[in-house]
Amino acid sequence: MIKVKNVTKKYGNFMALDDVSFEIKEGEVVGLLGPNGAGKSTTMNIITGYIEQTEGEVVVAGYDMLKKPKKAKREIGYMPEGVPLYTDLTVKEFVTYMAELKKVKGKEKKEKVEKVIKEMGLEDVQKKLIRNLSRGYKQRVSMAGALVGNPKVLILDEPTVGLDPKQVTEIRALIKQLKKKHTVIISSHILSEISQICNKVIIINKGKILAIDTPKNLENKVAHNNIIYVTVEDPENKMAGIKDKIKDLKNVKLIKENEDKTKEFMLEGKKDVDLRKSVFDKLSKEGITIFELKKADTSLEEAFIKVIEEGGKK
Amino acid sequence: MGAIIKKEFKSYFLSPVGYVFIGLFLIMFSIFFYTDVVKYGSTNFEYIFYNGATILTFITPILTMRTFAEERKTGVEQLLLTSPTSITKIVLAKFIAATLIMIITEVCTLMYFGILCFFGVPHIQTALVTLLGFLLLAMAYIAFGILASSITENQIIAGVITLGFFILMWFLPSFNNIFANFSLINIFTKFPTGQIDIANTVTLITFTVMSLLLTVIFMQRRKSVR
Repeated sequence: MIKVKNVTKKYGNFMALDDVSFEIKEGEVVGLLGPNGAGKSTTMNIITGYIEQTEGEVVVAGYDMLKKPKKAKREIGYMPEGVPLYTDLTVKEFVTYMAELKKVKGKEKKEKVEKVIKEMGLEDVQKKLIRNLSRGYKQRVSMAGALVGNPKVLILDEPTVGLDPKQVTEIRALIKQLKKKHTVIISSHILSEISQICNKVIIINKGKILAIDTPKNLENKVAHNNIIYVTVEDPENKMAGIKDKIKDLKNVKLIKENEDKTKEFMLEGKKDVDLRKSVFDKLSKEGITIFELKKADTSLEEAFIKVIEEGGKK
Repeated sequence: MGAIIKKEFKSYFLSPVGYVFIGLFLIMFSIFFYTDVVKYGSTNFEYIFYNGATILTFITPILTMRTFAEERKTGVEQLLLTSPTSITKIVLAKFIAATLIMIITEVCTLMYFGILCFFGVPHIQTALVTLLGFLLLAMAYIAFGILASSITENQIIAGVITLGFFILMWFLPSFNNIFANFSLINIFTKFPTGQIDIANTVTLITFTVMSLLLTVIFMQRRKSVR
Protein backbone atom coordinates (compact mmCIF):
# COMPACT_ATOMS: atom_id res chain seq x y z
CA MET A 1 0.00 0.00 0.00
CA ILE A 2 2.87 2.39 0.82
CA LYS A 3 6.35 2.12 -0.64
CA VAL A 4 9.09 4.46 0.52
CA LYS A 5 12.20 3.83 -1.52
CA ASN A 6 15.62 5.39 -0.83
CA VAL A 7 14.07 8.65 0.35
CA THR A 8 16.48 11.40 1.33
CA LYS A 9 15.57 14.85 2.57
CA LYS A 10 18.24 17.51 2.88
CA TYR A 11 18.02 21.03 4.25
CA GLY A 12 21.27 22.55 3.05
CA ASN A 13 23.92 20.34 4.63
CA PHE A 14 21.55 18.93 7.21
CA MET A 15 20.28 15.46 6.40
CA ALA A 16 16.75 15.13 7.82
CA LEU A 17 16.19 11.73 6.20
CA ASP A 18 19.01 9.55 4.97
CA ASP A 19 18.16 6.87 2.42
CA VAL A 20 15.00 5.73 4.14
CA SER A 21 13.22 2.69 2.68
CA PHE A 22 10.29 0.64 3.94
CA GLU A 23 7.11 -0.94 2.72
CA ILE A 24 3.72 -1.12 4.38
CA LYS A 25 1.21 -3.71 3.26
CA GLU A 26 -2.55 -3.25 3.07
CA GLY A 27 -4.26 -3.52 6.45
CA GLU A 28 -1.07 -3.11 8.47
CA VAL A 29 -0.91 -0.73 11.41
CA VAL A 30 2.58 0.66 11.65
CA GLY A 31 4.05 2.70 14.44
CA LEU A 32 6.74 5.23 13.67
CA LEU A 33 8.96 5.58 16.72
CA GLY A 34 11.83 7.89 17.39
CA PRO A 35 13.07 10.62 19.71
CA ASN A 36 12.29 14.27 19.02
CA GLY A 37 13.85 15.45 15.76
CA ALA A 38 14.37 11.88 14.55
CA GLY A 39 12.57 12.45 11.25
CA LYS A 40 9.14 10.98 12.03
CA SER A 41 7.13 14.03 11.00
CA THR A 42 9.37 14.61 7.97
CA THR A 43 8.67 11.04 6.86
CA MET A 44 4.93 11.54 7.33
CA ASN A 45 4.98 14.90 5.58
CA ILE A 46 6.72 13.35 2.59
CA ILE A 47 4.27 10.44 2.41
CA THR A 48 1.32 12.86 2.51
CA GLY A 49 2.86 15.09 -0.17
CA TYR A 50 3.09 18.12 2.14
CA ILE A 51 6.81 18.36 1.46
CA GLU A 52 8.94 16.93 -1.30
CA GLN A 53 11.85 14.59 -0.84
CA THR A 54 15.27 15.57 -2.18
CA GLU A 55 15.76 12.09 -3.61
CA GLY A 56 13.87 8.83 -3.71
CA GLU A 57 10.38 7.63 -4.40
CA VAL A 58 7.11 7.46 -2.49
CA VAL A 59 4.26 5.36 -3.85
CA VAL A 60 0.85 5.37 -2.17
CA ALA A 61 -1.82 2.91 -3.32
CA GLY A 62 0.07 2.45 -6.57
CA TYR A 63 0.46 6.18 -7.33
CA ASP A 64 3.80 7.98 -7.24
CA MET A 65 3.44 11.03 -4.99
CA LEU A 66 5.52 13.25 -7.28
CA LYS A 67 4.11 12.08 -10.61
CA LYS A 68 0.45 11.59 -9.68
CA PRO A 69 -0.04 13.66 -6.51
CA LYS A 70 -3.81 14.12 -6.89
CA LYS A 71 -4.54 10.42 -7.13
CA ALA A 72 -2.09 9.54 -4.37
CA LYS A 73 -3.45 12.24 -2.03
CA ARG A 74 -7.01 11.07 -2.60
CA GLU A 75 -6.08 7.77 -0.93
CA ILE A 76 -4.67 9.44 2.20
CA GLY A 77 -6.38 10.72 5.31
CA TYR A 78 -3.97 12.85 7.34
CA MET A 79 -4.20 14.01 10.91
CA PRO A 80 -1.28 16.41 11.39
CA GLU A 81 0.61 16.94 14.63
CA GLY A 82 -0.93 19.57 16.90
CA VAL A 83 -4.40 19.08 15.38
CA PRO A 84 -4.65 22.17 13.17
CA LEU A 85 -8.32 22.97 12.47
CA TYR A 86 -10.44 25.79 11.06
CA THR A 87 -11.68 26.90 14.46
CA ASP A 88 -14.24 29.35 13.10
CA LEU A 89 -16.19 26.52 11.46
CA THR A 90 -18.63 24.19 13.15
CA VAL A 91 -17.76 20.49 13.37
CA LYS A 92 -20.15 19.60 10.55
CA GLU A 93 -18.95 22.46 8.35
CA PHE A 94 -15.35 21.36 8.84
CA VAL A 95 -15.98 17.70 8.06
CA THR A 96 -18.07 18.71 5.02
CA TYR A 97 -15.24 20.99 3.83
CA MET A 98 -12.73 18.16 4.21
CA ALA A 99 -15.06 15.89 2.22
CA GLU A 100 -15.31 18.52 -0.52
CA LEU A 101 -11.52 18.89 -0.58
CA LYS A 102 -11.33 15.14 -1.15
CA LYS A 103 -13.78 15.50 -4.05
CA VAL A 104 -16.62 13.64 -2.38
CA LYS A 105 -19.72 14.98 -4.08
CA GLY A 106 -23.50 15.22 -3.90
CA LYS A 107 -25.56 12.71 -1.98
CA GLU A 108 -22.51 10.61 -1.18
CA LYS A 109 -20.95 13.63 0.56
CA LYS A 110 -23.90 14.07 2.92
CA GLU A 111 -23.97 10.36 3.73
CA LYS A 112 -20.23 10.10 4.34
CA VAL A 113 -20.11 13.23 6.50
CA GLU A 114 -22.97 11.98 8.67
CA LYS A 115 -21.43 8.52 8.92
CA VAL A 116 -18.03 9.77 10.01
CA ILE A 117 -19.57 12.21 12.52
CA LYS A 118 -21.47 9.28 14.02
CA GLU A 119 -18.45 6.98 14.04
CA MET A 120 -16.32 9.55 15.82
CA GLY A 121 -19.02 10.26 18.40
CA LEU A 122 -19.42 13.88 17.34
CA GLU A 123 -23.18 13.95 16.86
CA ASP A 124 -23.83 16.01 20.00
CA VAL A 125 -21.29 18.69 19.09
CA GLN A 126 -21.70 18.80 15.30
CA LYS A 127 -23.26 22.27 15.37
CA LYS A 128 -20.70 23.70 17.81
CA LEU A 129 -17.84 25.93 16.71
CA ILE A 130 -14.58 23.98 16.81
CA ARG A 131 -12.89 26.72 18.88
CA ASN A 132 -15.29 25.96 21.74
CA LEU A 133 -14.49 22.24 21.90
CA SER A 134 -12.22 20.45 24.35
CA ARG A 135 -8.88 19.09 23.19
CA GLY A 136 -10.26 15.55 23.11
CA TYR A 137 -13.13 16.55 20.84
CA LYS A 138 -10.78 18.55 18.61
CA GLN A 139 -8.70 15.41 18.22
CA ARG A 140 -11.82 13.50 17.16
CA VAL A 141 -12.79 16.26 14.72
CA SER A 142 -9.32 16.12 13.18
CA MET A 143 -9.63 12.35 12.88
CA ALA A 144 -13.08 12.73 11.32
CA GLY A 145 -11.53 15.09 8.75
CA ALA A 146 -8.90 12.48 7.96
CA LEU A 147 -11.44 9.67 7.73
CA VAL A 148 -14.09 11.31 5.59
CA GLY A 149 -13.95 10.08 2.02
CA ASN A 150 -12.91 6.63 3.27
CA PRO A 151 -9.20 6.85 2.36
CA LYS A 152 -7.23 3.62 2.12
CA VAL A 153 -4.33 5.05 4.13
CA LEU A 154 -4.58 6.89 7.43
CA ILE A 155 -1.63 8.85 8.75
CA LEU A 156 -1.87 9.99 12.35
CA ASP A 157 0.90 12.20 13.70
CA GLU A 158 1.03 12.06 17.51
CA PRO A 159 -2.70 11.42 17.85
CA THR A 160 -2.83 11.37 21.66
CA VAL A 161 -0.51 14.23 22.60
CA GLY A 162 -2.03 16.67 25.07
CA LEU A 163 -4.97 14.49 26.03
CA ASP A 164 -5.98 13.45 29.51
CA PRO A 165 -5.84 9.70 30.33
CA LYS A 166 -9.56 9.19 29.66
CA GLN A 167 -9.34 10.90 26.28
CA VAL A 168 -6.20 8.89 25.43
CA THR A 169 -8.10 5.66 26.10
CA GLU A 170 -10.99 6.86 23.92
CA ILE A 171 -8.74 7.85 21.01
CA ARG A 172 -6.85 4.55 21.23
CA ALA A 173 -10.14 2.66 21.12
CA LEU A 174 -11.09 4.65 18.01
CA ILE A 175 -7.78 3.84 16.33
CA LYS A 176 -8.23 0.16 17.14
CA GLN A 177 -11.55 0.25 15.30
CA LEU A 178 -9.98 1.98 12.31
CA LYS A 179 -7.35 -0.67 11.77
CA LYS A 180 -10.02 -3.07 10.51
CA LYS A 181 -10.67 -0.94 7.42
CA HIS A 182 -7.53 1.10 6.79
CA THR A 183 -3.78 0.89 6.50
CA VAL A 184 -2.58 3.09 9.36
CA ILE A 185 0.68 4.83 10.19
CA ILE A 186 0.96 6.32 13.67
CA SER A 187 3.80 8.29 15.10
CA SER A 188 3.98 8.47 18.85
CA HIS A 189 6.29 8.97 21.78
CA ILE A 190 4.17 6.69 23.91
CA LEU A 191 5.61 3.24 23.42
CA SER A 192 2.89 1.36 25.28
CA GLU A 193 0.45 2.89 22.83
CA ILE A 194 2.41 1.62 19.84
CA SER A 195 2.83 -1.83 21.34
CA GLN A 196 -0.92 -2.02 22.01
CA ILE A 197 -2.12 -0.80 18.62
CA CYS A 198 0.50 -1.59 16.00
CA ASN A 199 1.52 -4.82 14.38
CA LYS A 200 4.76 -3.38 13.04
CA VAL A 201 7.19 -0.79 14.37
CA ILE A 202 9.67 1.36 12.50
CA ILE A 203 12.33 2.88 14.74
CA ILE A 204 13.94 5.97 13.29
CA ASN A 205 16.68 8.22 14.65
CA LYS A 206 18.72 11.01 13.11
CA GLY A 207 17.01 10.42 9.79
CA LYS A 208 17.93 6.76 9.57
CA ILE A 209 15.84 3.66 10.02
CA LEU A 210 17.30 1.58 12.84
CA ALA A 211 14.79 -1.25 13.01
CA ILE A 212 11.63 -2.54 11.35
CA ASP A 213 9.92 -5.39 13.15
CA THR A 214 6.89 -6.46 15.16
CA PRO A 215 6.71 -5.07 18.72
CA LYS A 216 7.00 -8.66 20.03
CA ASN A 217 10.18 -9.40 18.09
CA LEU A 218 11.73 -6.13 19.17
CA GLU A 219 10.96 -6.93 22.78
CA ASN A 220 12.42 -10.44 22.39
CA LYS A 221 15.65 -9.01 21.05
CA VAL A 222 16.31 -7.36 24.39
CA ALA A 223 14.73 -10.10 26.52
CA HIS A 224 16.62 -10.57 29.77
CA ASN A 225 18.51 -13.79 30.27
CA ASN A 226 15.83 -15.67 32.11
CA ILE A 227 15.47 -13.52 35.16
CA ILE A 228 12.79 -13.89 37.82
CA TYR A 229 12.01 -11.68 40.77
CA VAL A 230 10.92 -13.26 44.02
CA THR A 231 9.73 -11.63 47.23
CA VAL A 232 10.09 -13.88 50.28
CA GLU A 233 9.89 -13.97 54.04
CA ASP A 234 13.26 -15.40 55.07
CA PRO A 235 14.10 -14.64 58.73
CA GLU A 236 16.73 -17.40 58.87
CA ASN A 237 18.49 -16.13 55.79
CA LYS A 238 18.22 -19.38 53.91
CA MET A 239 18.22 -17.64 50.57
CA ALA A 240 22.00 -17.21 50.87
CA GLY A 241 22.55 -20.87 50.15
CA ILE A 242 19.78 -21.41 47.66
CA LYS A 243 22.06 -21.00 44.63
CA ASP A 244 23.68 -24.41 45.23
CA LYS A 245 20.35 -26.11 45.76
CA ILE A 246 18.71 -25.26 42.44
CA LYS A 247 20.42 -26.84 39.44
CA ASP A 248 19.91 -24.21 36.75
CA LEU A 249 20.32 -21.17 38.96
CA LYS A 250 23.29 -19.00 37.97
CA ASN A 251 23.02 -16.04 40.28
CA VAL A 252 21.06 -14.76 43.29
CA LYS A 253 21.03 -11.10 44.19
CA LEU A 254 19.22 -9.27 46.99
CA ILE A 255 17.51 -6.24 45.55
CA LYS A 256 15.82 -4.73 48.56
CA GLU A 257 14.50 -5.36 52.02
CA ASN A 258 10.94 -4.24 52.47
CA GLU A 259 9.41 -2.62 55.55
CA ASP A 260 7.29 -5.72 56.22
CA LYS A 261 10.55 -7.67 56.62
CA THR A 262 10.18 -9.44 53.30
CA LYS A 263 13.10 -9.40 50.87
CA GLU A 264 13.13 -9.10 47.12
CA PHE A 265 15.66 -11.18 45.18
CA MET A 266 16.63 -11.34 41.56
CA LEU A 267 17.34 -14.88 40.40
CA GLU A 268 19.14 -15.43 37.12
CA GLY A 269 18.89 -18.86 35.52
CA LYS A 270 20.55 -20.54 32.59
CA LYS A 271 19.17 -19.61 29.21
CA ASP A 272 15.94 -21.26 28.01
CA VAL A 273 15.12 -22.74 31.42
CA ASP A 274 11.94 -21.71 33.20
CA LEU A 275 13.07 -21.33 36.78
CA ARG A 276 9.69 -20.58 38.26
CA LYS A 277 8.62 -24.16 39.03
CA SER A 278 11.92 -25.30 40.57
CA VAL A 279 12.23 -22.09 42.60
CA PHE A 280 8.69 -22.43 43.88
CA ASP A 281 9.19 -26.09 44.88
CA LYS A 282 12.59 -25.57 46.46
CA LEU A 283 11.72 -22.49 48.48
CA SER A 284 8.61 -24.21 49.83
CA LYS A 285 10.66 -27.18 50.87
CA GLU A 286 13.19 -24.91 52.58
CA GLY A 287 10.41 -23.23 54.54
CA ILE A 288 10.82 -19.91 52.78
CA THR A 289 7.45 -18.24 52.33
CA ILE A 290 6.93 -16.80 48.85
CA PHE A 291 4.96 -13.56 48.73
CA GLU A 292 5.48 -12.87 45.04
CA LEU A 293 7.18 -14.58 42.13
CA LYS A 294 7.34 -13.07 38.65
CA LYS A 295 9.29 -13.30 35.45
CA ALA A 296 11.14 -10.12 34.44
CA ASP A 297 9.19 -8.16 31.84
CA THR A 298 10.76 -6.78 28.74
CA SER A 299 9.05 -3.82 27.18
CA LEU A 300 9.07 -2.08 23.87
CA GLU A 301 10.48 0.86 25.78
CA GLU A 302 13.64 -1.10 26.62
CA ALA A 303 13.85 -2.36 23.04
CA PHE A 304 13.49 1.19 21.78
CA ILE A 305 16.22 2.56 24.04
CA LYS A 306 18.56 -0.30 23.15
CA VAL A 307 18.01 0.11 19.39
CA ILE A 308 18.53 3.88 19.63
CA GLU A 309 21.70 3.44 21.72
CA GLU A 310 23.11 0.84 19.36
CA GLY A 311 22.26 3.07 16.42
CA GLY A 312 24.09 5.95 18.10
CA LYS A 313 27.27 3.87 18.56
CA LYS A 314 27.47 2.96 14.87
CA MET B 1 -11.71 24.58 -6.18
CA GLY B 2 -15.34 25.55 -5.60
CA ALA B 3 -15.13 24.25 -2.05
CA ILE B 4 -12.13 26.46 -1.27
CA ILE B 5 -13.76 29.54 -2.82
CA LYS B 6 -16.90 28.94 -0.75
CA LYS B 7 -14.92 28.38 2.44
CA GLU B 8 -12.64 31.40 1.90
CA PHE B 9 -15.56 33.66 1.04
CA LYS B 10 -17.42 32.52 4.13
CA SER B 11 -14.31 33.05 6.28
CA TYR B 12 -14.31 36.77 5.41
CA PHE B 13 -17.69 37.05 7.11
CA LEU B 14 -17.02 34.62 9.96
CA SER B 15 -14.28 37.01 11.06
CA PRO B 16 -14.66 40.80 11.07
CA VAL B 17 -12.37 41.12 8.01
CA GLY B 18 -15.12 41.21 5.36
CA TYR B 19 -17.26 43.68 7.32
CA VAL B 20 -14.31 45.92 8.20
CA PHE B 21 -13.12 46.01 4.58
CA ILE B 22 -16.51 46.79 3.04
CA GLY B 23 -17.51 49.10 5.90
CA LEU B 24 -14.30 51.14 5.87
CA PHE B 25 -14.38 51.45 2.11
CA LEU B 26 -17.98 52.65 2.05
CA ILE B 27 -17.49 55.15 4.90
CA MET B 28 -14.50 56.71 3.13
CA PHE B 29 -16.27 56.50 -0.22
CA SER B 30 -19.29 58.33 1.23
CA ILE B 31 -17.04 61.13 2.43
CA PHE B 32 -15.48 61.49 -1.00
CA PHE B 33 -18.94 61.25 -2.59
CA TYR B 34 -19.79 64.40 -0.68
CA THR B 35 -16.47 66.26 -1.10
CA ASP B 36 -15.87 65.34 -4.79
CA VAL B 37 -19.39 65.27 -6.24
CA VAL B 38 -22.25 66.54 -4.09
CA LYS B 39 -20.38 69.63 -2.92
CA TYR B 40 -19.91 70.75 -6.53
CA GLY B 41 -23.40 69.77 -7.65
CA SER B 42 -21.82 67.43 -10.17
CA THR B 43 -23.15 64.12 -11.50
CA ASN B 44 -19.71 62.71 -12.36
CA PHE B 45 -19.84 59.39 -10.55
CA GLU B 46 -16.32 58.50 -11.78
CA TYR B 47 -14.72 61.41 -9.87
CA ILE B 48 -15.13 59.58 -6.56
CA PHE B 49 -12.97 56.73 -7.82
CA TYR B 50 -9.78 58.81 -7.97
CA ASN B 51 -9.92 58.93 -4.20
CA GLY B 52 -11.52 55.47 -4.18
CA ALA B 53 -8.23 54.11 -5.56
CA THR B 54 -6.39 55.77 -2.66
CA ILE B 55 -8.74 54.11 -0.17
CA LEU B 56 -8.13 50.79 -1.91
CA THR B 57 -4.37 51.26 -1.65
CA PHE B 58 -4.63 51.48 2.12
CA ILE B 59 -7.28 48.87 2.87
CA THR B 60 -6.47 46.01 0.46
CA PRO B 61 -3.91 44.55 2.94
CA ILE B 62 -6.80 44.00 5.40
CA LEU B 63 -8.35 41.65 2.87
CA THR B 64 -5.24 39.78 1.77
CA MET B 65 -2.77 39.64 4.63
CA ARG B 66 -4.36 36.56 6.20
CA THR B 67 -4.83 34.44 3.09
CA PHE B 68 -1.78 32.19 3.37
CA ALA B 69 0.11 33.63 6.38
CA GLU B 70 -2.57 32.73 8.92
CA GLU B 71 -2.98 29.17 7.66
CA ARG B 72 0.76 28.68 7.66
CA LYS B 73 1.04 29.91 11.23
CA THR B 74 -1.80 27.75 12.59
CA GLY B 75 -0.73 24.73 10.54
CA VAL B 76 -4.07 24.29 8.75
CA GLU B 77 -2.26 24.74 5.45
CA GLN B 78 -1.24 21.10 5.97
CA LEU B 79 -4.87 20.11 5.48
CA LEU B 80 -5.12 22.14 2.30
CA LEU B 81 -1.77 21.18 0.81
CA THR B 82 -2.24 17.46 1.47
CA SER B 83 -5.66 17.48 -0.21
CA PRO B 84 -5.98 16.38 -3.83
CA THR B 85 -6.14 19.99 -5.03
CA SER B 86 -3.26 21.57 -6.94
CA ILE B 87 -1.46 24.62 -5.57
CA THR B 88 -2.55 26.59 -8.65
CA LYS B 89 -6.19 25.92 -7.86
CA ILE B 90 -5.70 26.79 -4.18
CA VAL B 91 -4.11 30.14 -5.10
CA LEU B 92 -6.79 30.87 -7.71
CA ALA B 93 -9.58 29.98 -5.25
CA LYS B 94 -8.24 32.37 -2.63
CA PHE B 95 -7.86 35.08 -5.27
CA ILE B 96 -11.42 34.59 -6.55
CA ALA B 97 -12.86 34.69 -3.01
CA ALA B 98 -11.12 38.02 -2.27
CA THR B 99 -12.19 39.37 -5.68
CA LEU B 100 -15.79 38.46 -4.87
CA ILE B 101 -15.58 40.67 -1.76
CA MET B 102 -14.30 43.45 -3.99
CA ILE B 103 -17.17 42.92 -6.44
CA ILE B 104 -19.67 43.15 -3.56
CA THR B 105 -18.00 46.39 -2.49
CA GLU B 106 -18.23 47.77 -6.02
CA VAL B 107 -21.87 46.77 -6.30
CA CYS B 108 -22.48 48.71 -3.07
CA THR B 109 -21.01 51.84 -4.68
CA LEU B 110 -23.81 51.66 -7.28
CA MET B 111 -26.15 53.19 -4.70
CA TYR B 112 -24.23 56.44 -5.10
CA PHE B 113 -24.78 56.14 -8.85
CA GLY B 114 -28.49 55.69 -8.11
CA ILE B 115 -28.50 58.85 -5.98
CA LEU B 116 -26.85 60.78 -8.81
CA CYS B 117 -29.44 59.43 -11.29
CA PHE B 118 -32.11 60.94 -9.05
CA PHE B 119 -30.58 64.40 -9.38
CA GLY B 120 -29.26 64.31 -12.93
CA VAL B 121 -28.03 62.14 -15.78
CA PRO B 122 -24.61 60.65 -15.04
CA HIS B 123 -22.65 59.25 -17.98
CA ILE B 124 -23.27 55.49 -17.89
CA GLN B 125 -20.42 54.42 -20.19
CA THR B 126 -17.84 56.39 -18.22
CA ALA B 127 -19.18 54.96 -14.99
CA LEU B 128 -18.96 51.39 -16.32
CA VAL B 129 -15.42 51.85 -17.66
CA THR B 130 -14.40 53.34 -14.31
CA LEU B 131 -15.92 50.40 -12.44
CA LEU B 132 -14.08 47.99 -14.76
CA GLY B 133 -10.77 49.80 -14.24
CA PHE B 134 -11.35 49.88 -10.49
CA LEU B 135 -12.00 46.14 -10.44
CA LEU B 136 -8.83 45.51 -12.48
CA LEU B 137 -6.83 47.66 -10.06
CA ALA B 138 -8.36 45.83 -7.09
CA MET B 139 -7.52 42.47 -8.67
CA ALA B 140 -3.91 43.54 -9.18
CA TYR B 141 -3.74 44.74 -5.57
CA ILE B 142 -5.34 41.54 -4.26
CA ALA B 143 -2.97 39.34 -6.30
CA PHE B 144 0.04 41.17 -4.87
CA GLY B 145 -1.42 41.01 -1.35
CA ILE B 146 -1.81 37.23 -1.71
CA LEU B 147 1.78 36.97 -2.95
CA ALA B 148 3.00 38.87 0.12
CA SER B 149 0.93 36.62 2.38
CA SER B 150 2.48 33.51 0.83
CA ILE B 151 6.02 34.49 1.73
CA THR B 152 5.59 34.95 5.46
CA GLU B 153 3.70 33.34 8.30
CA ASN B 154 3.16 36.66 10.03
CA GLN B 155 0.07 38.40 8.69
CA ILE B 156 1.19 41.80 9.99
CA ILE B 157 4.42 41.51 8.01
CA ALA B 158 2.39 40.44 4.96
CA GLY B 159 0.20 43.53 5.42
CA VAL B 160 3.18 45.84 5.81
CA ILE B 161 4.90 44.42 2.70
CA THR B 162 1.70 44.91 0.70
CA LEU B 163 1.08 48.45 1.89
CA GLY B 164 4.75 49.40 1.52
CA PHE B 165 4.81 48.15 -2.05
CA PHE B 166 1.60 50.01 -2.98
CA ILE B 167 2.86 53.26 -1.47
CA LEU B 168 6.18 52.83 -3.29
CA MET B 169 4.33 52.33 -6.57
CA TRP B 170 2.19 55.35 -5.81
CA PHE B 171 5.19 57.62 -5.42
CA LEU B 172 7.29 56.07 -8.19
CA PRO B 173 6.31 58.71 -10.79
CA SER B 174 7.57 61.45 -8.42
CA PHE B 175 11.12 60.07 -8.74
CA ASN B 176 11.16 59.69 -12.49
CA ASN B 177 8.46 60.02 -15.12
CA ILE B 178 9.48 56.70 -16.71
CA PHE B 179 8.03 54.94 -13.65
CA ALA B 180 4.61 56.44 -14.31
CA ASN B 181 3.87 53.51 -16.60
CA PHE B 182 4.54 51.06 -13.76
CA SER B 183 2.50 52.82 -11.10
CA LEU B 184 -0.74 50.85 -10.78
CA ILE B 185 -2.70 53.76 -9.31
CA ASN B 186 -1.40 55.98 -12.10
CA ILE B 187 -2.52 53.46 -14.68
CA PHE B 188 -5.99 53.36 -13.15
CA THR B 189 -6.44 57.13 -13.41
CA LYS B 190 -6.85 56.74 -17.20
CA PHE B 191 -10.07 54.72 -16.78
CA PRO B 192 -12.32 57.48 -15.34
CA THR B 193 -11.88 59.33 -18.65
CA GLY B 194 -14.37 56.81 -20.04
CA GLN B 195 -12.14 55.09 -22.54
CA ILE B 196 -10.71 51.63 -22.25
CA ASP B 197 -7.02 51.85 -22.92
CA ILE B 198 -5.77 48.45 -24.09
CA ALA B 199 -2.19 49.02 -22.88
CA ASN B 200 -3.35 49.95 -19.36
CA THR B 201 -5.82 47.08 -19.22
CA VAL B 202 -3.15 44.62 -20.31
CA THR B 203 -0.68 46.04 -17.77
CA LEU B 204 -3.10 45.56 -14.87
CA ILE B 205 -4.03 42.04 -16.01
CA THR B 206 -0.36 41.13 -16.55
CA PHE B 207 0.53 42.37 -13.07
CA THR B 208 -2.29 40.27 -11.61
CA VAL B 209 -1.26 37.12 -13.50
CA MET B 210 2.42 37.60 -12.67
CA SER B 211 1.68 38.02 -8.96
CA LEU B 212 -0.48 34.89 -8.90
CA LEU B 213 2.11 32.96 -10.86
CA LEU B 214 4.84 34.02 -8.42
CA THR B 215 2.60 32.92 -5.53
CA VAL B 216 2.23 29.48 -7.10
CA ILE B 217 6.01 29.28 -7.65
CA PHE B 218 6.73 30.33 -4.03
CA MET B 219 4.25 27.81 -2.66
CA GLN B 220 5.63 25.08 -4.91
CA ARG B 221 9.19 25.92 -3.92
CA ARG B 222 8.34 25.85 -0.24
CA LYS B 223 7.42 22.19 -0.65
CA SER B 224 11.05 21.37 -1.28
CA VAL B 225 12.63 23.72 1.28
CA ARG B 226 10.05 23.37 4.06
